Parts: sequence; structure tokens; C-alpha cells
Amino acid sequence: MTRARALSPHARMVLAVLLESRGEWSHGYELARRADVKSGTLYPLLIRLEAQGYLEAEWQQPSEGGRPPRHAYRLTASGVRLALDNPPDRVPVASDRRREATA
Amino acid sequence: MRGGLRRKLADLVCRALQATLPPSMRSWGWAVRCEAADIEDDTEALLFALDGLRGLLPRAIAARLFHPVARLIGSDAHPIGGSTTMNPHAAAMLRPRAVGIACAIGAVMLGLLYLAMAGAPALYMLVNGGALALGLTMLALLDRTVVAGSRPAGGAILVMAGAILLTALLGTRVEGAARWVSLGGLSIQPSLILLPVMLVAYARTRDAVATAGMVIVAAALALQPDRAMAGMLMAGLAVLAVMRPDRHALAALGVSIAAFAVTCLRPDTLPAVPYVDQIYYESFAIHAAAGAAVLGGSALLLLPAVAGWVREPANRAAYQVFGAAWGAAIAAAALGNYPTPLVGYGGSAILGYALSLLALPRPDAAPAAAGSQGRSASDTGPSDRHLLAGLA
Repeated sequence: MTRARALSPHARMVLAVLLESRGEWSHGYELARRADVKSGTLYPLLIRLEAQGYLEAEWQQPSEGGRPPRHAYRLTASGVRLALDNPPDRVPVASDRRREATA
Repeated sequence: MRGGLRRKLADLVCRALQATLPPSMRSWGWAVRCEAADIEDDTEALLFALDGLRGLLPRAIAARLFHPVARLIGSDAHPIGGSTTMNPHAAAMLRPRAVGIACAIGAVMLGLLYLAMAGAPALYMLVNGGALALGLTMLALLDRTVVAGSRPAGGAILVMAGAILLTALLGTRVEGAARWVSLGGLSIQPSLILLPVMLVAYARTRDAVATAGMVIVAAALALQPDRAMAGMLMAGLAVLAVMRPDRHALAALGVSIAAFAVTCLRPDTLPAVPYVDQIYYESFAIHAAAGAAVLGGSALLLLPAVAGWVREPANRAAYQVFGAAWGAAIAAAALGNYPTPLVGYGGSAILGYALSLLALPRPDAAPAAAGSQGRSASDTGPSDRHLLAGLA
């Protein structure tokens, strides 16, 4: 059951960051940094978005030994629509990936 | 492998978070822990973990507190991808019984506010609070009592009617009225505890045995005499007779009208008891907020009937009988020296309200056959017959 309640600025920003990832998986710390939200704000948001079907999450095994697995997130089709319908008031922090590409 | 105090603290915080989260949310605790472990900077990792704990701890506590209530009302949180999804408002609106639990809690709280503002003895507030805890516990325990293929609801109604009749014959007598029994130094009123649940149960299952129970309880209330409870019986059965006009309901209504007439003819000289009777008037004299608390608490009692009417058209009779019963109790308290349910001092009404919620249809009950009549007119789904049997 989805709610018609207006999204908070933080939620809009997190959605925008996820939208910018264009279907790539994102991780919690990176999301928090780019959306400029604290982890205590981010995770309840992610839980809610996932529960409402706007977000999918998966566990990813580490690429190198000795590192922990990562919980990764990306928008579902309805999440993309939600993000497009609720743009943030400001531009998210650019990702490391993009910075590398434009340097 | 990274060490250091801050790193260890971060890990400790994450472990604490994981321990706090309910199983359905534990993967999110792992997510925070693994993410913190992957952060290179120790201070950043500690701050990430601490803020994760700050954000998720209230949710974890709420989930743990809400889980028993959710089980009670039959609306378990359902995991979606390892998350706990529960919109309490939506769940409540889907399940009028949940509305009733919330209303009971709200009404008792407003009552406590009135009692505190009125300067009632602390014991009174303890009794009301204790009765609420006991009532909700009984509701939870009886709700879980599964007696497969057990005694039908008619038997339960008959047993409860017998208890009220015994009160009329052997109960504590005050100025000619025998409505109470003394338990552990407290006077309780069995009719106020049992009659609402009997009426709602009868609205859902009517047969010869259950109708006999209603006749017995009508006689008992005339004997006591108790005009308020006889009025509750008559009001509940009148609503039932309008919505389900079968011979059982009509016969029971006829007897209840006679019983109410008897109570009206017999004198009722009991004086008002402070903090129990006449508080609709007195509360406003104390303070407008106290009066508003009393009125608001009383209005809450009727909300489950409204929610049931809106959400469960197939079970409207049960919800309207519930509303009529408690509406009659409120009217009696407004018109005479009778207990003000839930907001005034007295545990019997609180227990009675909780028990009457037990008889409301369960969410998974089979839809009722509207207007069903016959030898046994039943609106009871197979999944909740045990509730009524558990009362017997």
C-alpha cells in the first residue's frame, strides 16, 4: 500500500542520486555522501523505499579478499518514476565515477 | 585487518544495532555493519555506525513493540525483501478490531487524565491502568486459544448468562441492587464485563441455546435490577432485530424489552459515586480539558462500530450491535447514576470493552452471508469460533 504523502527533501535527494546511477548498483556510504544525508536518515529511507517497491537491494560479494560483502541498491521501474516525479531542490554531489570520467 | 579503538567501537555499535533489530529487519543491521567496515577512515566509520544506530533504533523499538499488537490483531508485518512493512494506519483501517484496541487505550488514557485533573485517589488510576493491561492480556490470550471443533458460541453465551444470574442471586447487595461481586477487595460488575461480548457474539451466532442465554440474562438484569445494563441489552438486540430480523433475535428482543420495563418500574435509589457516575457533568466543572477528555474518550468507544460499518459491510450487524451496546452504556451514564465506561473509575467496563473486541469478526473470518436465517443464524467464520468457545 503506497502513500500519497509528499516526499521529504532527503528522500528526493536520495532518489535523485539513485536515479543518476542509471541502473547501476549503489552502496550505503556512497549514497549518504552524495545525497548529503547521514546514515541514520538514509537507512530508514532505504527500508521504506524498498518496502514500497521503489528500490531493490542485493548482497554483493567483495571483489577482493578480506573485505566485507556490500548491500547494494538501485531503483525499480516505479522507483525511477517516483524519482522523476519528485526532483530534489538542489543538485546531488557528483559521484567518484563521474568525476573520474570528466577529469 | 584494521584495529584501533574507534574501529572496535564502530563494530560494537553495529553489533548493538543488529541485536536490537527484529529478525525481519536484521539484514539492514548487517548492511550498516558491512558498510561501516568498508569505510577506510576509522572516525568516519564510527560516525556512520553511530548515526545508523540513531536512525534505526527507534524503528527497531517500534517494530518490537508493535509486533505483539500486530499479532493480536492478526496483522503481522510482512517481510518484503527482508524488510518490515507495516503501515499501522492502513492496517487499522482494514481491521476494525485494531481500531477498538487503539480506542480502548486512548479512552483509558483520557480517563486517567480526567481522574488526575479531578484529584482522584492514585489507586483509582492504578485500577483503571491495571484493568486495561489485564483486558488486553485476556484479549491476546483468548485470541490465541485454539479449541478446534469445540463448544459452539451458544454454550459460551449460556455460561456467561448463568454468571450474571448468579450475581443477581448471590452478589453483593447495595440498597436493593445486586450487581456486584467482591474479588480481592474490589467490587466488580460481571454484567458490564460479560454483556457486551455476549451481545456481539449473539449478533454473529444465534441459535436456541444462545437465545436461551439472552433470555436468562434479561431475567437476571430485571432481578438485579440494572436499568443501564437492561438498556444495553435492549439496544443491542433492537439493532440486531432490525439488521437480522430472524425469530431468535425477535424473541430475545421481546424479552429484553420486558426486562427493561421491569427495571424502569423498580426503584433505583443508588446515589452517584464520585469519579464513576455523573462525570459528564462534573468533569466540565473541574476544567474544560477534563470535560473534553471525558467526552473524547467516550466518543472513541464508538469508533470500531464506524470502522466496521465502513470496512466490513458483510459484518455490519456485529459492529452495529457493538456500537449500540456501548452507546447505551454511555447514554445510561449521561442520564443516571451508572458507571461512565472506560473514562470513569472502574475496571469492569474496561475489561468488558476488551472482551467485546474479542467477539468482533477476525480479519481472516469467512465473509458473512447477509441476512442468513434458519435454525442457526450464524455470521461466524470458522476461524473465530474458538474465540467464543474460549470464553466459555
